[in-house]
Amino acid sequence: MTAVAWARSNLFRNRRDAVTTIVAGLIVGWVLYRTARFVVVTGRWEVVRTNLTLFLVGRYPNGDQWRVAVVAIGAGFVAGLVAGQVARRRLGAAIANGTPLPTVPFTDRVRDVVARYWPALTLLLLLLLLARTASPWLLAAATIAATVAGRLLGARTPRRVGWAIFALPAVLPLAVLPFLTDPLGWDRWGGMMLTLLLASVSMIACFPLGVLLALGRRSTLPALRAVSIGVIEFFRGIPLVVLVLMSDVALGFFFPRDLLPGKVVRVIVAFTIFTAAYVAEIVRGGLQSVPRGQTEAAQALGLSPVRITGLIVLPQALRNVIPALVGQFISLFKDTTLVFIIGFLDVLSVADNVTKQPEFRGQGLIAETLVFAALLFWVGSYTLSRESQRIERKLGVGTR
Amino acid sequence: MTEHDDTVFADATVVAGTGEVMIEIEGVDKLFDDFQALRDINLRVGRQEVVVVIGPSGSGKSTLIRCINRLEKHDRGRIVVDGVELSDDIRAIQAIRRETGMVFQSFNLFPHLTVLENITLAPRHVRKMPRREADALAMELLERVQIPEQALKHPGQLSGGQQQRVAIARALAMQPKVMLFDEPTSALDPEMINEVLDVMKELAREGMTMIVVTHEMGFAKEVADRVVFMADGQIVEVGTPEHFFTRPSEERTKRFLSQIL
Amino acid sequence: MVVAFGLWLAGNVRANSAKTNIPLSFDYLDQPATFPIAGSSFRPTQSVRDAIVVGLGNTVRVALAGIVLATVLGTLIGIARLSTNWLVSRAAKVYVELFRNVPVLVLVVFAYLAVFLRLPRLEDATTVSGLLVISVRAVAVPWTRTDGRGWLVLGILVVAVAAAVAVARWRHRAFDRTGQPAFAGVAATVAFVAVVAAAFLATGGPVDVTAPHLDGRVLRGGIAMPPEYAALLCALALYTASHVAEIVRGSIQAVPKGQNEAATALALSSGQRMRQVVLPQAMRIAVPALANQYLNLTKNSSLAVAISYFELTKVTQVSIASRAPAVPSYLLLMVIYLALSLTISAITNQVNRRLALVER
Repeated sequence: MTAVAWARSNLFRNRRDAVTTIVAGLIVGWVLYRTARFVVVTGRWEVVRTNLTLFLVGRYPNGDQWRVAVVAIGAGFVAGLVAGQVARRRLGAAIANGTPLPTVPFTDRVRDVVARYWPALTLLLLLLLLARTASPWLLAAATIAATVAGRLLGARTPRRVGWAIFALPAVLPLAVLPFLTDPLGWDRWGGMMLTLLLASVSMIACFPLGVLLALGRRSTLPALRAVSIGVIEFFRGIPLVVLVLMSDVALGFFFPRDLLPGKVVRVIVAFTIFTAAYVAEIVRGGLQSVPRGQTEAAQALGLSPVRITGLIVLPQALRNVIPALVGQFISLFKDTTLVFIIGFLDVLSVADNVTKQPEFRGQGLIAETLVFAALLFWVGSYTLSRESQRIERKLGVGTR
Repeated sequence: MTEHDDTVFADATVVAGTGEVMIEIEGVDKLFDDFQALRDINLRVGRQEVVVVIGPSGSGKSTLIRCINRLEKHDRGRIVVDGVELSDDIRAIQAIRRETGMVFQSFNLFPHLTVLENITLAPRHVRKMPRREADALAMELLERVQIPEQALKHPGQLSGGQQQRVAIARALAMQPKVMLFDEPTSALDPEMINEVLDVMKELAREGMTMIVVTHEMGFAKEVADRVVFMADGQIVEVGTPEHFFTRPSEERTKRFLSQIL
Repeated sequence: MVVAFGLWLAGNVRANSAKTNIPLSFDYLDQPATFPIAGSSFRPTQSVRDAIVVGLGNTVRVALAGIVLATVLGTLIGIARLSTNWLVSRAAKVYVELFRNVPVLVLVVFAYLAVFLRLPRLEDATTVSGLLVISVRAVAVPWTRTDGRGWLVLGILVVAVAAAVAVARWRHRAFDRTGQPAFAGVAATVAFVAVVAAAFLATGGPVDVTAPHLDGRVLRGGIAMPPEYAALLCALALYTASHVAEIVRGSIQAVPKGQNEAATALALSSGQRMRQVVLPQAMRIAVPALANQYLNLTKNSSLAVAISYFELTKVTQVSIASRAPAVPSYLLLMVIYLALSLTISAITNQVNRRLALVER
């Protein structure tokens, strides 16, 4: 369709449409103009440039930042492995038959990846351009190389061994944490690193609790059901802020003095319990979506109730609600900004603090730093959202 | 009512009824992206004529009748209904929609309204009928389709056969000149098909111009003035039911009939 | 096992509070607050209980205003998303994707620090003649002031509403009788305005609309919204509106296509299709999801702690800093939020039940 024809049918279908287009065009144009002017002309981005490492890894000692680099490269490699193994399983039937796999030209592959991840890639480019040294470029190149290598390797790993790959993302963080906390205890972490720590640990930890609560809510024991419902409705009815504040001040009252866990652990507990209540409701929806026939068939086969739940019902339930679970993780990722209120050095806190540094004080740079902080979160959230939608679509056409 | 004539009638001529042309479809094409759903369709339907359209799925039968009331937009050719040509002019479209009634495979009754309100909605808002008159008309139609006692129920409380009869009453409430049926019984349980077919046969007997897309061959044999066979977006063969079911001319027609009869 | 865990926790609490000498009771509620609440007539000598009541009032105020704004804005944007005009629908999509993916707290802090605190000082305030005064101290809009005959105004409003309802009924009956379109909404509004205008003229105008204006360095007239309130309200409304827009869009699209087709085949105009067929069904789908958003907005109002707007959570936080015991304070806070949540849930459950489709 030619440009004129397209404009005619989409923008100027009739007189009222044309008027709408013009009015909307003026408003949108004005907004775009002001934004562009802020970003390119009047914005003073020096404050962001100087403090880039603060935004990303907080006050992690300079000499030990290579550890973060190593973890980043490793994460890229593991992500590639998982992607490769998933791709291999999707083509499983074709491989088993020995039919030749369709070869996708390299340029098309690159174009697909760029189209899929353009926000993250653009942000990466932006960060690299803002950086002052060459090492970030090396790190980025190394991470991309590791991801590609992982993708190739994952696609070639046979299924028998490949299942171990899926266990990696859950297991590796446990190994990685001591490695990273050695130079600086996690109580003093900051920046995006702290955000990711809080979000991932809370998500992994809330899972078992959430599943237990969901099962408890469905149980036939009235006491267990009452407690589960009570816990779930209680923590869903109060704002997360209150829990976070409590974790700072009041949680200390619930433990004997000498057993008091550190600030980070306390806040992780708050996030975990809160998210577990929401996950419980999501899992409950998933459990309800598994047809009764499944349970009945399993019972007819003589399986014990525990086995039925664990082997038949739960896996199907969880598979059905993966998009909702990812959505909850995205919410959690954004909610970690609340630790700003209790004095952690997370991304939002950094955005506020750097405007008070001697060379940037009193210049009203808070807008620039906040926009940058918002950008970091926006890219993460938007990318995860899109991936979740992709998973939702693909699950409808799964191979199993 | 029908002349028992064995010759295959070219699509352009009409048969039965008053001989006046009610609907004229000339050289119509319809494309869905790359897929050609309709290919050079030529058909005329006369006043009070009952035309039954049959064919395999994907042949374009539904698309054809949906083009008549502009639920789909045809890409080439002309469609004229009772003298009004179907164009992009909304007034022409609305005029045609007022004179054509449509019955859908999935009934499409409005679940938030009672049966009575379903039927009176269009007459009151489009033909500006006062409420009392509309209600009386609706009750009369419900009597015709034999379910007057369901007037104040909601569609969700009715069986499939009852819902489809309400849908027919709803379409008749606008006093259309043509009734279009898009596989009206395909979504019904077998024991309810007959109650709907009976209503349609009664309508035909009373002289309504009807175009019916269906798989019910019994209905076609009994009521149709002409049978149109479509495949791959084209009209393959047209003829009276007698001709059609006993001595079809085209190979494709014979193959289709052998599969279903 | 669970019970044992609970008892251990309770025991710890008791032991710890004994050690720190802060009592575990609710007596603190009667103690003087010793902290001020800006923007209200609260005095530090009043009890903590009164402070909490003021805080609750502020929470309700920002929640209600936020819900109304978010619903109106969100519905408009949701419908814009479905527009056939590419520019309008794309702009709406950008709005939604932008505000959905940014953390609320970032929006709140940005609104406060980067927008409302950067407004000009009162002396150099931007004025839109007689309508708006925009300054860092407050954003002022016209407001009404009664000259002591408030009950009269109330009476007039009640009569006007009754008149509007009566006119609407009359128009509906005319539609029944003659079939001509009712225009009930327009007629009712005209009736309302007419009654109010006539009554005000007759009684000599018991209500004054005061326009905000600057009198040297003092802001007179109108009603002034402090920047904390304005920032919180804007951020919450813009954020929640993006979710409401998605819900509205989703619920309209969830109405089966066949419904629209049947209405189209019956020659109903696009406006009639929307009003009589699509929107009633879409609303039923949207209500539970909207209720969830309203709950979220109410809970998100607690983010005020970051910008010092004295709603419920902030009041609690400050009172604890002023020596109120932490555990009972937070306990009370959580109970109040639970009560708010349950109230909103109960209201929306009722609405849901009323709207439910009748099935076999």
